[in-house]
Amino acid sequence: MRFLRHDMHSLSGVYALDALEGEAERNRFTHHMSRCQTCASEVRGFREVATAMAFAAAAEPPPELRARVLAAAARTRQLPPEVRTHARPRRTRSWVPWVPWLSGVVATASIVVAVLFGFAQSHTQQELNQIQAENKAISLLLSSPQVTLLSHSTTQGGVATVVLAAARHQLVVVTNGLPALPAGKVYQLWLIGKTRTVSAGLLPPATSGRTPAVLASGVVKGDTLGLTVEPAPGSTQPTTTPILALPLPV
Amino acid sequence: MNPSDSDASRFKSASTDRRGERDLDDLLVHVARGDTEAFEALYDRLVGPVYGVTRRVLRDPSQSEEVTQEVLLEVWRTAARFDPAMGGAATWVMTIAHRRAIDRVRSAMAAADREYKTAEIHTPHDEVAEAVEASLDRERVRRCLEGLTEVQRESITLAYYGGYSYRQVSELLKVTLGAIKTRIRDGLIRMRDCLGVS
Repeated sequence: MRFLRHDMHSLSGVYALDALEGEAERNRFTHHMSRCQTCASEVRGFREVATAMAFAAAAEPPPELRARVLAAAARTRQLPPEVRTHARPRRTRSWVPWVPWLSGVVATASIVVAVLFGFAQSHTQQELNQIQAENKAISLLLSSPQVTLLSHSTTQGGVATVVLAAARHQLVVVTNGLPALPAGKVYQLWLIGKTRTVSAGLLPPATSGRTPAVLASGVVKGDTLGLTVEPAPGSTQPTTTPILALPLPV
Repeated sequence: MNPSDSDASRFKSASTDRRGERDLDDLLVHVARGDTEAFEALYDRLVGPVYGVTRRVLRDPSQSEEVTQEVLLEVWRTAARFDPAMGGAATWVMTIAHRRAIDRVRSAMAAADREYKTAEIHTPHDEVAEAVEASLDRERVRRCLEGLTEVQRESITLAYYGGYSYRQVSELLKVTLGAIKTRIRDGLIRMRDCLGVS
């Protein structure tokens, strides 16, 4: 861990105002929060302050929005409550190899299922809020009208599958069968552009060989998705040769 | 500086029990069961702040409208996942709204920044000042913001209303990253006490 516990703790305000940068930083803080009750309750209090600030900024939306939202709700199925049981059979074990042969709709649906199952199994209660927010962003991406599916093996084995929503400048990455890394190393994603390379976040730890979906934003024309092995907790620029370099058709 | 009891209860009445109608948490429980009337009531109570905060962050009215619709649909869709132990219904919804608006800004900004390399940033001071008026909520928040140091106040408003990351705030205010972290946290602690948030 590069950050001292104290440093992490002082990010509680920044986190509560959604002012952290990127998924990697958010994930690091939520991870810290899952072990720090003080931080969690501090964030709760700060979010109430933020709520008061939202109320202070209240503005009248166009009146026609009401009918539109209510009509959209009438067409939208609600999620059932979460039932905490691990007895459900895992049905998503080998979905990745099918992806290239599936239609976009079916494939994205199975990714949603895989994401939800993966999360349900590998996360603590405290992380659920964060996961829900990520799930929302991911399901929003998957439900956008035009997505492109890409799948490619890495030079070290294993496959990365990418769902690209060019119009939203976003993509979702899942992997299957990447080699396990020694302690102190992480897999990091990059958006490699013509003029600069930016981090697109870390791959979370794998469960049964699969890594949960990672959302990356800010994809632009000419970008290539890269994957490297970096010293924990990730680097600001890649320090090793990418094991995957996938040009993105944006 | 200390909040009086009436301040605390006013905040509560402003954000969670406005006009003595059904409690928001209770409404959300009914929304989770598919109660469309409860959803309409929830819409009427929360659309103002949801639209207001997205509008403040995004500026563009049509994008803000779009995000507001997304947020309220998300509330409808995931109401069953709301956990009152994690905070009140209003806070749950506003967290979704702000996060959504920020996600929109960050992905658009990252793209624009990288396409044009020079991302011009202008501070939203006037708009913040402009909107911080009139209603009780506004008055109370304004008063509490006034109780902060200048750096605390500017960091918090730039981050929350302006949608800037703390790195960008640190750039804008020419204050180190470490100092920004602490100013935001200290400022929020003061705001929390001033607003009478538990």
